[in-house]
Amino acid sequence: MIRWLLGPAVVAAALVAVTGCKPASRGPVQITLQRFFGACDAEFGSSTDVPAAEGECGIITTLINKFNADNPDIRVKVNIVYWPGYDQLSAELAAGHPPDLVTMHESVISDYSQRHLIMPLDAVLASVGVDPAGFTRAAREGVTRDGSVYALPFDTWAPLWHVNLNLMRAAGLVRDGAPVLPHSAEELLQQARQFTRATGKPYLIQSIVNDPAASARNLFTCLMQQNSDFFADPRRIRLQTPEARRVLQLFKQIRDEGLTTRDQDYTAATAAFLNGQGGVYIVGTWMIGTYEQASLQTGSPLAGGYTVVPFPQLYSGRDVTYADGHSWVIPTAKRSAQKTAAIARLLRFLRDNDFQWSRTGHLPAYQDVIDSARWRALPHRTEVARLVDTAAPLPAGVQRQFTIQQIISEEMESAITGQKPIDSALADAERRVNDLLFNLL
Amino acid sequence: MDSCEQTAAPSTRRTWAASKSEARSGLLFVAPYLIVFAVLLIYPLFSGIWLSLHKADLFGGSQFIGAQNYARLFRDPVFLTAVSNTLYFVLLTVPPLTLIGLGLALALNNRSRWSALLRGLFFSSSVLSVTIVTLIWRMVLIPDGGLIANLLTSIGRSPVAFLSDAHLALPAIAFTTIWWCIGLPMMLFLAALQQVPRDLYEAARLDNAGRWRMLASITLPSIRHTALVVVVIELILQFQLFGQAQIMTLGGPNNASLPMVLFIYQVGFQRWDIGYAAAASEILFGMILIAAMTQYFAARGRESR
Amino acid sequence: MTLRAPSAGAGAGRNWALLALLALASLAMAAPLLWTLLLSLKSNGDLLRSTRSAFSPPYTLQNYSDILGHSAVFGWLLNSTIVSLAVTLGVLALSSLAGYGFARLRFPGRAVLFIVLLFGLAIPEQSVIIARHQMFSALNLHNTYRGLILPGLAAPFGVFLMTQYFRATPRELEEAATLDGASRFKIFWRILLPLSLPAQATLGIFTFLSTWNDYWWPLISATDSDMYTLTVGVASSQMNFAQTNGLGYLMAQAVFASAPILIVYVIFQRYIVAGVSRAAT
Repeated sequence: MIRWLLGPAVVAAALVAVTGCKPASRGPVQITLQRFFGACDAEFGSSTDVPAAEGECGIITTLINKFNADNPDIRVKVNIVYWPGYDQLSAELAAGHPPDLVTMHESVISDYSQRHLIMPLDAVLASVGVDPAGFTRAAREGVTRDGSVYALPFDTWAPLWHVNLNLMRAAGLVRDGAPVLPHSAEELLQQARQFTRATGKPYLIQSIVNDPAASARNLFTCLMQQNSDFFADPRRIRLQTPEARRVLQLFKQIRDEGLTTRDQDYTAATAAFLNGQGGVYIVGTWMIGTYEQASLQTGSPLAGGYTVVPFPQLYSGRDVTYADGHSWVIPTAKRSAQKTAAIARLLRFLRDNDFQWSRTGHLPAYQDVIDSARWRALPHRTEVARLVDTAAPLPAGVQRQFTIQQIISEEMESAITGQKPIDSALADAERRVNDLLFNLL
Repeated sequence: MDSCEQTAAPSTRRTWAASKSEARSGLLFVAPYLIVFAVLLIYPLFSGIWLSLHKADLFGGSQFIGAQNYARLFRDPVFLTAVSNTLYFVLLTVPPLTLIGLGLALALNNRSRWSALLRGLFFSSSVLSVTIVTLIWRMVLIPDGGLIANLLTSIGRSPVAFLSDAHLALPAIAFTTIWWCIGLPMMLFLAALQQVPRDLYEAARLDNAGRWRMLASITLPSIRHTALVVVVIELILQFQLFGQAQIMTLGGPNNASLPMVLFIYQVGFQRWDIGYAAAASEILFGMILIAAMTQYFAARGRESR
Repeated sequence: MTLRAPSAGAGAGRNWALLALLALASLAMAAPLLWTLLLSLKSNGDLLRSTRSAFSPPYTLQNYSDILGHSAVFGWLLNSTIVSLAVTLGVLALSSLAGYGFARLRFPGRAVLFIVLLFGLAIPEQSVIIARHQMFSALNLHNTYRGLILPGLAAPFGVFLMTQYFRATPRELEEAATLDGASRFKIFWRILLPLSLPAQATLGIFTFLSTWNDYWWPLISATDSDMYTLTVGVASSQMNFAQTNGLGYLMAQAVFASAPILIVYVIFQRYIVAGVSRAAT
């Protein structure tokens, strides 16, 4: 019996040897697009009806379906990756077989551009008539490094305050239909206490657990609002400052007084806001569409009572919000002119559909979309449009921003939950970040 | 004439010829595997050691720096945390896996239908992928809507945030791991129990020995060897904790559940510092080698005495 | 109950305690599986409001029909099956050959090579993975079946197991064949290989399961979605920010993806149990 097992083994080995050689392909040019934003093939798998799609995943899925349908000479193959997918991209780049088009946060472009792992796109974009002059200021700054454009910007996003007006009203925190929001840390605490007393629910909903970035983004915003130049030297962070201590104390006190949800991860926090379990959820622009939909449904805790505003100015320095953006980059690789042309057409298509993408809630990356009547007509966009002026990323020279965010979030979490004194958490965060930056190659 | 010569031939010549051909075919038999072994295991092992002596980048370019990576590792608090987490995790999983596996084997070593069913149940989780096991257990453990949280709230208690509590995260991962891996130790012990000669029990029964005495004086000594196998296999497996931590906690909160392998992964593929990652890999190798050898020789020593 | 091991004798109270303990362990074992099944039978909307709804109707098969319509799960299952089968067959072939060589044939360096092999047992996959990734990059092997299969062939466990097994096999049969003038390969092929079927089964099951469950290597080698194995594919559809297919769908995917191997397990349970059992002896 074992003999008939071994026979196939030889055949299998031979097959394996053969499968390595792929036949030269003809027909449509294939481009591999690698993205996060999730998988939703169950709902949108074959739909090309972009205006009917909702949410990041739905819109990007239908967009690519539509591009494939409209361009029979090109086939876009999609690799969906575990968010944010940079480990996988690194493995692919190391293997020498990167995909053709990849979603990238503008904050991590420097990591790749400085190593020439992604291509400058000036020529590619010019070939299909995409002019960087049409980018918003935030988008242009986000994708430009050393005078070259390294990515096609897709949006600008920032953590926003998503507000449950129904609960705020119950707490007496709505005036003229708009939420009453704090103008200082003290006011934040007062209003949060008032809210929790009145509703019995936490004022803030926060995604803390396993969230690699949320806490760090809060810290960045609050430090910028205090004009703290914590990255004066892009290779050294300074966190052992009174400004940083103040921010951590605020968030620790919010937690200690029970004014925030605890121990929620991203999924739990997202659902908690939907289920009316708190007043304000600090999360990015991408949830606007989803929550707006919920507010239109009768029976939803958000029904008729949802709005969203930029991060309020809590410190007297300046009105600013830490922001980032999604963009599309082309990893450096040898490609035929035909393939490059196909990628360029896809880029043009994505730029032309930036309005559709902005229905997710993200701020458009193109000034003409922001100025358009149809974008302004989308719900809550007038409030959010202020971000065009107030959005600010970290200095472009700072490398490994995702790892930095993760380190800072970890240390902040341990300070806020009381596992470490604030001072030692800040010292540890500072040391770990600087060790990381010092040991860069 | 053939047969005649065969018997008459001087035996030394014959053995020499035979052994020469035996040597040749022996090498032919082992060669295919040895080539794979050398190319895919030994070569990467040594090139990894060589790499660990360099400041090396994932995308090429490296510089010899001697043992500096190792020196840096021993000063790196995150790495040291990862080492102690790994040891703690091994301690949390290997003894329970061995003891529970043994207990289940003793309880289910009979021919009833129920035992067959339960053996199946306890082994069934072993065939699941790590990504599915973690998906399942996340939905058991999370405080918002998890199974345990639902049960706790239904009896009026507040949910426990297992995965975000620095003291509970690693034990929760350990529990998940025990659930996932319990099948193999149970099966190995069951197999060993089948091999215990039955007449030993008959004899003991004639001596009127109680159940516990039979367990202590017959069963346990007979399966000593299997116990060693189980411990060594589980040591090697559990030292390499990766997927559960990567998916369930990302090593958090604040590295409280960061194992060495996840550290290696993060350094290699997020920080691109593969010389440093390779150095951490060698430490892991050293630890597993020492642990397995210690177990092995300790058991050997006891046996020979 | 007809017990093989002695169990009668001790007090009934102790027996009840043990039974209760066993029942508790069984419950802990089964509950997560049942919970997953329940979640997979609920609509995503219901679960978003509260997972407690999983304990009561209405239940739906919608999540499963969604998978049948549009899922990449089939590709992942196929890849995992191809890779696991190929590694298993490869390991069986290489290990039996080498095991026979080490157990029965004398050749120069045999003892030293075998000791090297024993050391190889303690080399964790994870400690060579960085260097191996570099090597496979240079050889252009990533995102191919070869790239996924080859590393699985290197583990020395199989050779060790087969060597032990052949050593324990009586020599009489072979000696008779030798006198008949059969070649060594013929003896191996005709006599020893059929005798080693139990060990082959054991090794095959071990290898298949460990390849099926492999995570880190496919995560960094099979980065193209066409080459995703089940572990990587399921991971890619989890933990996606913002909208996903929803919890019910994810759970249905988990059930669906586990079903084939669970069915195989149920069918072959008796052999698997017997096979694993033999490894210990």
